[in-house]
Amino acid sequence: MFGSSGSRVLNVINISYLQSRSKRVWVRKPLGSPMAKSKIFRITPKPVIPEDEKAEMKRLFDNYKNSMKSLRQYFFEQSLKQAESGEVAQMKHRLEDQEHERLMEENLLENEKTAMLREERLKIQAEKTQKNVLASLIKKEREAKQHEIQIEDFLTKQMSTPFIKPENIEKAIEDALANPVNFNFALDLDGYVYRGKETSIDMIPEEKRERLNSN
Amino acid sequence: MASAVSTFTKIGKVIRLNRHGCTNRPFYHIVVQNTKDNQDGPVIEQVGSFDAMPNNKNEKLVALNFERIQYWLAQGAGLSDPVAQLLGLSGFLPNHPRTLIQAWKNRREPPRERKIEAIKGIAPPLDNPKL
Repeated sequence: MFGSSGSRVLNVINISYLQSRSKRVWVRKPLGSPMAKSKIFRITPKPVIPEDEKAEMKRLFDNYKNSMKSLRQYFFEQSLKQAESGEVAQMKHRLEDQEHERLMEENLLENEKTAMLREERLKIQAEKTQKNVLASLIKKEREAKQHEIQIEDFLTKQMSTPFIKPENIEKAIEDALANPVNFNFALDLDGYVYRGKETSIDMIPEEKRERLNSN
Repeated sequence: MASAVSTFTKIGKVIRLNRHGCTNRPFYHIVVQNTKDNQDGPVIEQVGSFDAMPNNKNEKLVALNFERIQYWLAQGAGLSDPVAQLLGLSGFLPNHPRTLIQAWKNRREPPRERKIEAIKGIAPPLDNPKL
């Protein structure tokens, strides 16, 4: 009845996920199956164990569990120690050291390579900056010279114009007082200029009239 | 690899007896397995054997690889009761309480009727052959 029903019921305990050609081991009755007729009204007698035996068994089991716990802990620590100091660990350490050395050498070579490249780059940059600085200096010099020339020209121009110096000042004052300048003028629609504030048209004859020319 | 199925969760390991041999002639391999595997399923390592049938000289032969058992115990493997009893009797672990309990129970009850006579050899005959 339970020939193949074990696999049909949702009890996974009887199934092995990996195929094995050996006999299937009976673990338990499938969960959905009914109780056997011979067992329906069965009341199993509870095993009666005297108190002192129970106490003795408890004592024995407690002692055993304690010793087993401590033994397992001891084995674990021993395994850790062995892992640290054993041959496998030593070989691992040796290999690691070798690897470390190799990597350090590689790193050194790499550093040297990059150092060379860096030096070249820096050299080129230095030349460039040198050139730039030189060019800018030359430019500044040239500009300074030009500036000086301009200043000199300006100064000479200014000096050529009549300056009023401390020696000339009295003469200049006397001249200014002697020749007052009147800037007032009027214009005619025909284009004639009449200078002076108090002049009227009648005062000037026709021939002496000035024409306004752009000056 | 013993197990072809890869597991990401941790499955506990157990040292227990695997029944080999033939009908009415059991022979057990003491074996380290995943708890979830069947008794006849994939095995991680065999760590000994136990012959339940006494031989000519009335001995039940047990073989145990103590180094490997120690390794697996350090890795956190469990022990089944029979294996724990065998290890206790061998002296590797303290005696299992069950051996003592079985012993005093055997001393108390009368001997069972046997069809086959006990073999006389080097080991003394069993006075209470419940075993």
